[in-house]
Amino acid sequence: MGNHRSSDVIEVVFWLALAIIFFAVSFEFNQPIEIYKFGATGWPRVILFLTAVVAIGNFYQAYKKGAVAHKGRVGALDEADAVHYKSFSQYLQTGWLLILPLIYAISLKPVGFYCSTPFFIALIMVAWGERRASFILYNTLIIYGLLLLLFMIVLNAPLPQGNVSPFYDVSASILRAKTQLGQLF
Amino acid sequence: MIENFLTGTATLFGDPFTIGVFVFGVLGGMLFGAIPGVSMLTLAAILLPFTADLTASQGVMLFAVIYCTGTYGGAITAILFNIPGAPENAPTAFDGYPMTRKGLAGKAVGAAVLCSAIGGLASALVMMGATEPLAQWAIMNIGPPEIFALVFFGLAVASSVGGRTIWKGWLSVLLGLIIATIGQDPVGGINRYNFGFTDLAAGIAFVPAILGFFAVSEIFVQAEKRVGGTYSAPVFNVDFPSFYELWAHKFAVVRSIFVGFFCGILPGIGATLAAFMGYGEAVRWSKNKEDFGNGKLEGVISSETANNAATGAAMIPLLALGLPGGALTAMMVAVFQMHDLEPGPLVFYNSPDLIWVVFAAMFYANLSILFIGLIETKTILYLLKIPFQFLAPMILMLASIGAYIGRGLVLDVIVMFVAGIAGFLLRRSGYSIPGIVLGLILGKIGEQNFAQGMQMVHYDLVTYFSRPICTILIIAGVLTLLKSLYSAFYAQTFKSQG
Repeated sequence: MGNHRSSDVIEVVFWLALAIIFFAVSFEFNQPIEIYKFGATGWPRVILFLTAVVAIGNFYQAYKKGAVAHKGRVGALDEADAVHYKSFSQYLQTGWLLILPLIYAISLKPVGFYCSTPFFIALIMVAWGERRASFILYNTLIIYGLLLLLFMIVLNAPLPQGNVSPFYDVSASILRAKTQLGQLF
Repeated sequence: MIENFLTGTATLFGDPFTIGVFVFGVLGGMLFGAIPGVSMLTLAAILLPFTADLTASQGVMLFAVIYCTGTYGGAITAILFNIPGAPENAPTAFDGYPMTRKGLAGKAVGAAVLCSAIGGLASALVMMGATEPLAQWAIMNIGPPEIFALVFFGLAVASSVGGRTIWKGWLSVLLGLIIATIGQDPVGGINRYNFGFTDLAAGIAFVPAILGFFAVSEIFVQAEKRVGGTYSAPVFNVDFPSFYELWAHKFAVVRSIFVGFFCGILPGIGATLAAFMGYGEAVRWSKNKEDFGNGKLEGVISSETANNAATGAAMIPLLALGLPGGALTAMMVAVFQMHDLEPGPLVFYNSPDLIWVVFAAMFYANLSILFIGLIETKTILYLLKIPFQFLAPMILMLASIGAYIGRGLVLDVIVMFVAGIAGFLLRRSGYSIPGIVLGLILGKIGEQNFAQGMQMVHYDLVTYFSRPICTILIIAGVLTLLKSLYSAFYAQTFKSQG
């Protein structure tokens, strides 16, 4: 048996699966380009081949030497700094922290920036373990207010308004109020 | 040159509105660079439509000033929060953030201020004196094979220093290159890997991917530490580095100026590769290589000098050849076009006033980094005192807006958060986020120039390698890879973990 861990197996499977899937999909655009001998697939396939080779090298090292890091390397999180989970609820908590922003991003199109943002800000604070209701309320209002001031009023940046009623109507009324405010000054 | 510079200065400071535009650019670039989650690119994207109301010289000058000060500003977030304001600040975080954790944030930021200013000023001076001859040299000697060779060398350097092991460093760069293949191929325009999403035909936009990999993943890392009970707030400190500390790194500064300028002058390369190469060279020449990544001042100095040295140089291919070196210089091309101008050799003859106003503005913008930067730094360090449960949603929101504004696509916000989750998982497993981002940025440039180079030499490798600059860079890249491979297999350079 080698010195590798189960995570090393997951990693090599991930990289090889990525290379194989992308290689398979490359047949969809495997058209010749008249002015270029290697076509649209040449470059990606070389990269995928190298990925597969390096992934095997990565696993080989883990198999031979186990969990080791080369000295003097930068840009990655030190394993010593990694969090070690003690309970299933911690996994759930981290999972929720990762998924929550994604839910917000997906909701932007139907709900829009103006309606979804305050809820997202508050939920993020709760997910971070904040339980003081007044802290959450005040800080949500401060952050939301600052964002509106900077991007809506000062920079006049176009932000998603949503396309589902009543969210779209709320966004439209906020923008109308901003226009009326602008006319006053 | 001096006469032209004085004329440019007089034009810049002779009109109150132009002064206002200059000051706005200086402060805006610094501010947007230093706010975690947004960057100078966010500001530039927002301002682009408004430049139609400015004169051509005001518009181009504004973007040039934002480029200089924003490149510096991005170092602040890299050092304080491990969130580089722009890709060119990524290597700054390698040592800057560990310095913050050690309570040396003031020293790191102080060094960034000074070295950004020195790098930028040196670059601006060379740019003023040598734009035309350098452009001529570049036209004669630099073609697609040389650019591809430099991309190869840069990726070899990035993969050799990033990641927990050499294999993970390479895989990080390769993942970036894979992501860069999404969208139309640069030769025939054939759609690749769009998986049915029409918005992906244009590829993965840099800004959302960069925000996701850097800013969002760092928030997730901190959040996880909070869940695991290992979170500790960064240590607040405003002690600047002493003169002697900085003087000890004079050779690193000079070396990084050369590296930054050389990378910046090459079309399509920009400041990102300059910063990585500056950092890589610092590691290569150091006697204490193991100290890099653990909070070594020289790491911050090398990266910040090189990326700001590239800002002036990046204007040379833009102004002389009409070729942008990065996202912000590409937006400058749009500013030119809005005013019915085309950047290129003719701009020196048709609009000399514009050129010298821009040159003068860049010089003074770099000078202002030194003065305003020092004052701003003392203030901005107080960001470390803000509770992270307040800062985290703020950064996530700013990043969401920053990702959305570039193209007005919600898909980009989704891409950003997906990149954030991927970045979080990859960092946990020891992969290098800066390596991924460099692969993503240079992937398309590398492919395009490889294809053009191959067409140029009719697929004859002997002709390809008969170009000396190209050959030297390719050999340097191969040697870098071989040396790191040797270390991985034979040299006793392992440290036990886990």
